[in-house]
Amino acid sequence: MRRFNILALVVFLVAVGGLFALGPGATQKIQSGFLGIIAPWLKSGSNVERRITAIRKGLKTLDELEAENKELLVHNKELQAVNQTLRDLETENNRLRRALHYRELAAFQLVPARVIARDASTWWNTIKIDRGFADGIESDMPVVTEDGLVGKTTTVARNASTVLLISDENCKVACGIEGSLEQGIVSGERTSSGSMPIISMRFLSKTANLQPGQKVLTSGVGGVYPSGIFVGGVKEFRVRELDGYATIVPAVDLTGLEDVFVVLGKK
Amino acid sequence: MILFFLILVIASFLSLVIQHFVPPLGPEGVRLILMPLVLFYGALALPFGLMLVLAFVCGLMWDALTVQVIQTGYGPTAATTVEIALGWSILLYATLGSVMSGFKPLFKRGRWEIHCLVSGVCTSLIVLAEFLMLSVRRAAIGNAPFVFNHDIWWRIGGPGVLALLLAPVVFFVLNSFAALVGYNPRKVDREEEL
Repeated sequence: MRRFNILALVVFLVAVGGLFALGPGATQKIQSGFLGIIAPWLKSGSNVERRITAIRKGLKTLDELEAENKELLVHNKELQAVNQTLRDLETENNRLRRALHYRELAAFQLVPARVIARDASTWWNTIKIDRGFADGIESDMPVVTEDGLVGKTTTVARNASTVLLISDENCKVACGIEGSLEQGIVSGERTSSGSMPIISMRFLSKTANLQPGQKVLTSGVGGVYPSGIFVGGVKEFRVRELDGYATIVPAVDLTGLEDVFVVLGKK
Repeated sequence: MILFFLILVIASFLSLVIQHFVPPLGPEGVRLILMPLVLFYGALALPFGLMLVLAFVCGLMWDALTVQVIQTGYGPTAATTVEIALGWSILLYATLGSVMSGFKPLFKRGRWEIHCLVSGVCTSLIVLAEFLMLSVRRAAIGNAPFVFNHDIWWRIGGPGVLALLLAPVVFFVLNSFAALVGYNPRKVDREEEL
């Protein structure tokens, strides 16, 4: 039996060595294949999660209404329930109208997508969306919402993709400051997490003297992100030894993403 | 045994799916990491060879979801590279699975507390190893300085504590599945010794 263990160990090490030797292309193919396998499960889980959230939200609002309108609820319970359902529909309608309005105005060809899962790991900030190469999506395509930049696609499967969020340290975006010639690189921080996204802008000039609230927009340098996409607002600027450094408040609430758009290219 | 091994493979896949729907806890972003618990139970309940296969499957699934192919440089100097090669998690899982296998004699005697404790420690070690690999790799590319602050401590220790608390439940559930398919994990060592 010990011989079998040694044999198993040798086979194991050879297999792992084979994986180490894989290049970026083969790695992405494996990632894409596995994303294709796990995506239907994530979609099903996401649907269940949405239903549960919807029920919980409905109950919570009902509680609030109960506290505020206790007397009214006693007499008009049925009416309140109908009213609540309509309110939920109105909120959803407004959200979708806002999204469609953005789609009509945008100069880019956009593919709407729904977030099916957030990253399960500690050190990487990604989300999974329900659109893939069947919808024309490829890796390194910008992902936005009506509020601004979300990130870019990385692994793409047939009907799902992974989006690297701007709060990830590996997501680097060439940006400029609105109304000035200042340029820099926006990226996430290693301490950034799904619940606490932190992004910063580096390589600014030391004399930049940015003020809180100034808008940060993509500059178009690098070829991945078109110019003019809103990234966030300056929170704080400080001068370091070699460059200027600004912390940025993301334009998009990265913790509560539900619907996004993938930018395929110009219309 | 093979049937129970397949159950563990399915359980590790499902635990990975479930992980996606558990939001980070607290302002530090502490994550619940379930899949290694299935592996650690497998390390106790399966022979060494099958534990290696389970570590391979778990590590491959994890790497397939987390490994990042990044672009370095612009224009003519642009190149794509894999940040941390596919396979590192497999090695890490196999190493920690082997450590857990060392506690089999206690498991055989019906003890479970030590294994839960070791599961917690090993889960934190996984997160720590990931952090160190990332830091070394990113420093090598010239990206960022080494950071180790209060939040990082929490995000390494937190998953370990959660794993420690959840391990008895996960072990109990997997033990029940073993009983359901007529597999006795406590006999595995005797079979190996023969």
